[in-house]
Amino acid sequence: MPENAGYYHAAYALTATIYAAYAISIWWRGRRVRERLKGTSARD
Amino acid sequence: MALSALNAAWLIARKDLTIEFRTRTAFLSALVFALMAIVIFYFSWDPTAIPAGDLAPGVMWVIFTFSGLLGLHRSFGIEQQDRAIDGLLGAPVAREAIYLGKALANLVFVVGIQMVAIPAVALFYNVSVISVAPALAAIALLAAVGLVAVGTLFGSMAVNTRLAELLLPVLSLPFFVPVVVPAAQATAKLLNGRPIAEVDGWLRLLGAFDIVFVTVCMLAFPYTIEE
Amino acid sequence: MTSSVAARDSLESRTQSGIAPVFDWFLVAAGAAVIGTLVRAMAFTPVELRQGPAQKIFYVHAPSAWVAFLAFGLVAVAGLLYLWLRDLRLDRFAESSAEVGVVFTTVVLITGPLWGRPVWGTWWTWDARLTLTLFLWFVYAGYLVLRGAIDNQEQRARYSAVLGALGALLIPFIHLSVYMFRTLHPQPIVMKPGAPSLPNEMLVTLLMAFASFTLLYVALLRARYRLSEARSALAHQEGGDA
Repeated sequence: MPENAGYYHAAYALTATIYAAYAISIWWRGRRVRERLKGTSARD
Repeated sequence: MALSALNAAWLIARKDLTIEFRTRTAFLSALVFALMAIVIFYFSWDPTAIPAGDLAPGVMWVIFTFSGLLGLHRSFGIEQQDRAIDGLLGAPVAREAIYLGKALANLVFVVGIQMVAIPAVALFYNVSVISVAPALAAIALLAAVGLVAVGTLFGSMAVNTRLAELLLPVLSLPFFVPVVVPAAQATAKLLNGRPIAEVDGWLRLLGAFDIVFVTVCMLAFPYTIEE
Repeated sequence: MTSSVAARDSLESRTQSGIAPVFDWFLVAAGAAVIGTLVRAMAFTPVELRQGPAQKIFYVHAPSAWVAFLAFGLVAVAGLLYLWLRDLRLDRFAESSAEVGVVFTTVVLITGPLWGRPVWGTWWTWDARLTLTLFLWFVYAGYLVLRGAIDNQEQRARYSAVLGALGALLIPFIHLSVYMFRTLHPQPIVMKPGAPSLPNEMLVTLLMAFASFTLLYVALLRARYRLSEARSALAHQEGGDA
C-alpha cells in the first residue's frame, strides 16, 4: 500500500480552512454592513 | 411600420462598417496587433525543437481571439459617444435586429483580419494553406461566427459597466474555449495533411456552438439594453 | 422556491428587525456534520489498498464538485426566473449561490491536484472534468467581477442573470471540447447500475459526505443571502442605488 497519507491530511486541512475562512468572511462583511446600517440610521 | 428585421439588421451593419471604413482605426490597429503578434510568437519557441508549422494553428487562433476582442469592444463603444445607442433604441427596430446588425459588422471585422492574418501565418511559418484553403475557410468562418455571437453580447454588457473594456476579455474568454479548441485542433489536422473527414467531429461541435449561441445571445441581447 | 419566497417578507420589515447573526444554529450544525464526516473518513473508514490513504481525498473532492455544479445550476435557474419575475430576491439568491459555488470550486481545484499527485504521479492533468471545473471557476469568477463593476441594482441583476444562464449553457460545450481532447479520470463508480463497487463502509462515508457538504452549501448560502439583504437594506437607507 502506498504511503501517501500526507496528501490527504493536507487536503482535509485546506478544505476545512477554506470553508471556515469563507464563513468568517461572510460574518466580517456582515458586521461592517451592520455597523454602517446603524451609523446611517443614527444620523437620520 | 417597422422595417423588416433582417433589413434593419443589414442597415445597422452597414452603418457600423461605414463608420469603420471611414476611420479605419479599429481595423488597422487590430490588424497591426495581429501581424506583430504572429511575429513575436515565432520567437517564443525554439525553432530547432518545434517546427514552425506545428505552432501555426495555435498562434493563428490565439491571435484571432485577441484581435477579435479589440473590434468587439469598439462595436458598442462607438454607440456610447453622444449616446448614439438611444437613437438606435428609439428606432422602430426589433432589439434582436440590432444584435444581428452589430454581430454582422463584427463578423466582417473578424473575417477581414483572418483574410490578412492567415496568409501572413502561412508566409512567416512556412506552411502551405493553398491546398486546404476551402476547408480552412470553412473552419475560420464557423469559428468567427461563434466568437462574434458571444462577443457581441458581452461587448454590449461590458461597455455599460465601470470596468468597460477590461471586463470584455474576462467575460468572453471562457466562452471562447469551445470555439478555439475545435478550430485550432481542426486547423492542425488539416495543415498536417489529414483528410477533412478526420475533422468532422470538430466541425460539428463548432456548428452546434454557433447555432446555440447565436440563437441564445440574440434572445438575451434585449435584456442587456433595457433602460 | 419562487412563489413561496416571493410571498414572504419585504425588504423594510427585515431592515427593522435587524440582521440575523451569521454563526447561528444552522451553520454550526452544518459545520458539525462536515467535521463528523471528516472524522469518520479519517478514523473509521478503511483505506483503499491500491491508492493508499490519498484515496480519502475523494470524500471531500467529489461532494465539493457536486455542490459546485448544484450551486451554478441554481445561479442559472435563479437568473432565468429573475428575467421573468423581476424580483430582486432572486438576484440576491443567484449572487449568493455563485459566490458559495466559487468557494466550493476552489476546494475542488485544490484537492484535485493533491489527489492526482500521489495517484497519477502528476499535479495537474488536462482531464475533461478537472478542466471543466477550472473553466467554471473562470466563468463564475468573471460573474462576480461583473457584479462588482455595476452600481445599479436592477441593471446588475439583469446582466448577471444573462451571464449566469449562458454559463450553464456553456458547460456541455466545454465538456465536449475537452473530452474530445482527451480524458483520464476514473469512471463513476457509485452510480453504476447494479451493485455499487465500493465497500459498504466507504459508501456510507461517501453518502454522508454528500449530505453534509450539501447541508454546508445551504447554510453558507443562507448566511450569504442575509449579507446581500443587509447590503441592499444599506443601499436603500443611504438613498444610493448600490
